[in-house]
Amino acid sequence: MSEEMKIAKVMDLKGLPCPMPILKVNKGIKEVEIGQVIEVWSTDPGSLSDFPSWARTRGHQILKTDQNGDVTRFYVQRIV
Amino acid sequence: MDPKTREDLLKLFQGKLNEAMTFYLETCTRCGVCIEACHVYASMGKVRYIAAYRQEIVRRIYKKYFKARGNVWPSVGDAKELNDMALEELYEAAYSCTGCRRCMVYCPFGIDTQMIMSIAKLLLVGAHSEPEILTLLADTSIEKGKSLDIFKESFLTGIKKLEKDVVKKWKMEAGGTPIPMDVQGADLLFVALAGAHSIIPTAAIFNAAGENWTLSFFEAVNFGAFVGDPGRTQLILDRIVKEAKRLKVKEVCICECGTAFRVMKQLAGKQPFKVSSVTEVHARYIKEGRIQLDRSLLNGVVTYHDPCQIARNGDVIDAPRYILKHLTNHFREMSPDPKYNWCCGGGGGLVALGEETLDFRMKSSKVKADQIKRTEATTVVTACENCHTQLCNLNDHYQMGVDVKFLSSMVADALVQK
Ligand code: SF4
Ligand code: SF4
Repeated sequence: MSEEMKIAKVMDLKGLPCPMPILKVNKGIKEVEIGQVIEVWSTDPGSLSDFPSWARTRGHQILKTDQNGDVTRFYVQRIV
Repeated sequence: MDPKTREDLLKLFQGKLNEAMTFYLETCTRCGVCIEACHVYASMGKVRYIAAYRQEIVRRIYKKYFKARGNVWPSVGDAKELNDMALEELYEAAYSCTGCRRCMVYCPFGIDTQMIMSIAKLLLVGAHSEPEILTLLADTSIEKGKSLDIFKESFLTGIKKLEKDVVKKWKMEAGGTPIPMDVQGADLLFVALAGAHSIIPTAAIFNAAGENWTLSFFEAVNFGAFVGDPGRTQLILDRIVKEAKRLKVKEVCICECGTAFRVMKQLAGKQPFKVSSVTEVHARYIKEGRIQLDRSLLNGVVTYHDPCQIARNGDVIDAPRYILKHLTNHFREMSPDPKYNWCCGGGGGLVALGEETLDFRMKSSKVKADQIKRTEATTVVTACENCHTQLCNLNDHYQMGVDVKFLSSMVADALVQK
């Protein structure tokens, strides 16, 4: 993935329970430029529904979601 | 603050003025009985944390705009203009109050400070001055209700991964589904939090009891209630009500989350299903002989922290004690008794605000830490996510040396496999 897409920042949120992943990603996305992509790792099962919902309310885009074992990787592009 | 904003905020204020609220705003006699009732004042000793003082900030605005000065008026404070400075004071009052309602049980008139603070919170929402994090989390929950189809499949995949851990706690017969989802005609809909720790133990207990259950797609917690926004609170609640009706369940069981339980119980209105806390359901299984527990696992004194929204405000007091009787011979009550129990200090959205409120949460809850220490317990049990987080923080801060546990996970660990 990183070869095809330039990742501006990687956030390792493994082990954090809900709602921490959302709070962290909401902060983290503001630290990159508009148009840039962050890669976020989470093990919280709730993130699978929380992240797409959060992205829709805040106008960002989830470009891809990879599930590997217990870890889910989200690739989120800052749009606004 | 421009006149238009003030006008809009006063409309919001007006909308809150039902009979009970008017009574609360017009009745305080400043008798002072509530002074020591608030854990924040009792721990920090600052006048601004007295329940009646918090109320007075809202009351003075009420006096200015809704009640002519000079009327027969027991409270003697001055009327106050609604401006930016007033908003700051409202913020300080509302977000240092956990809504525990301990002051209410002491007040001779039963004045509900939490309800008065709901005006403060609503004005802050109206002025876009509320904690942004809480609105963000509320909006995320609401969006989930609108777009279930988008995340349904990936959520199901995530839940599937938890099933192996459910089976480790309770072995099932071949072909059984450890975490059933979307089951039309299930008897019970379990509304958990998004974390594995909220789902796995209770799933094992349901399976052990032979319950015909199904897991909700939605998380129980209601951030709309924390931020004091009735519109958002209702939308978050409606997702679950709609799901329960679609599946035609007979019972909606709320996980260990105090606010979620209180909101569902008090605001869902008349529905074709009953609302229970998971603690009540677990107690019922023990009573009916549907699960057996091993009482020999716990050493040392065990005490129980009553979550305010479940005990004082939700009336679930006997069920956790009944369960604990089946888990240990060394249960010791905190003093004072459950109705007057000290709040953990993490309610009202303070725990959700995380690090930002940590210092205040620790300082304002010294009385809670002292109350726990007096029991000499080595295990502190509770049945609310917020309380659990706050008690863990207190344990670290005051070096209490206790184990803080969820009641449901203790039940799951003690299940006797038949
Ligand atoms: S509701 Fe609880 S936190 Fe708020 S003023 Fe009353 S005792 Fe204090
Ligand atoms: S106990 Fe009730 S009446 Fe007395 S000061 Fe407190 S809020 Fe007012």
